[in-house]
Amino acid sequence: MTPLQRTLIETVLIALFGLLAGLALNHRLILDAFAGRLAAPLPVAAPANAALPQPVLLAEVRDLAAAGALPVDARDAALYAEGHLPGALSLPLGEVESQLPAFRQQVAVDRPLVIYCNGYGCPDSFDLGLRLIEAGYRDVRVFEGGFPEWRDAGLPVIEGER
Amino acid sequence: MKRSGRVSYHLCRLLLGGVFVWAGAVKAHDVPAFASQVAAYQLLPYAWNYAVAATLPYVELLAGALLLVNVRVKPAALLLLLLNALFIVVLASVVARGLSIDCGCFGPDAGTTPFQALGRDILLLALAIAVYRQHDRYVPSTA
Repeated sequence: MTPLQRTLIETVLIALFGLLAGLALNHRLILDAFAGRLAAPLPVAAPANAALPQPVLLAEVRDLAAAGALPVDARDAALYAEGHLPGALSLPLGEVESQLPAFRQQVAVDRPLVIYCNGYGCPDSFDLGLRLIEAGYRDVRVFEGGFPEWRDAGLPVIEGER
Repeated sequence: MKRSGRVSYHLCRLLLGGVFVWAGAVKAHDVPAFASQVAAYQLLPYAWNYAVAATLPYVELLAGALLLVNVRVKPAALLLLLLNALFIVVLASVVARGLSIDCGCFGPDAGTTPFQALGRDILLLALAIAVYRQHDRYVPSTA
């Protein structure tokens, strides 16, 4: 075997080992994707520039979060610290104008967002959604059941400040 | 002269390996987010975005780690050379199609434009070529 042939074979083997490691560690995600069980639309399938935030239900929130959507907490920072959805960022409606520049630096405009507040009857998530669409975010949804529905379903709640 | 050449070869090897270990680790940490970024390139069918996002970071991680630990350097450098060439073609297609997307090269929140990513990938390609070509000069063959 020439040195070049050996290098080529080893190159292919390294790529294969990497592929197999990725497949082994993420097999469930890949199977779900190919079976169409990941309902959450990726940016390609997302409703681009929808004029209003789209409402989503609890089950969809879980799928969306699993597919990379960012939960955004529209409540006060104190309520956020008491408990929020895993991975959620705090962006209280009352402080949106001061905090939006930092938020925009941190979150790409094509990242799907799921906004929530204190459940049905709380308009802050919808209002924040409108503001974020105005700021250029392309895929903005509102989880109307909000934090109470999430908590009461026994789903994981994270405590602590942003 | 030879000594400084050897030092620069090892620096190139460590830099290339470090960059890809970092890039792979950041993306492997959040596969669904990386899948969203792959989808933004609008090149693959829906589920294949997940397949690429779930495997590519580990190929980068493995090749980068081999460079860092100085094992199988030549094939690892060749693999990264080929990957970079592929990234350059893909990014050029993004620029040609006028898509305004985040490159996603180093995870979801890096915020790199396709043009910046293109420039960076050309540098990394040059680095990979240097490591591949200089390897035989500075590392005696054991075969």
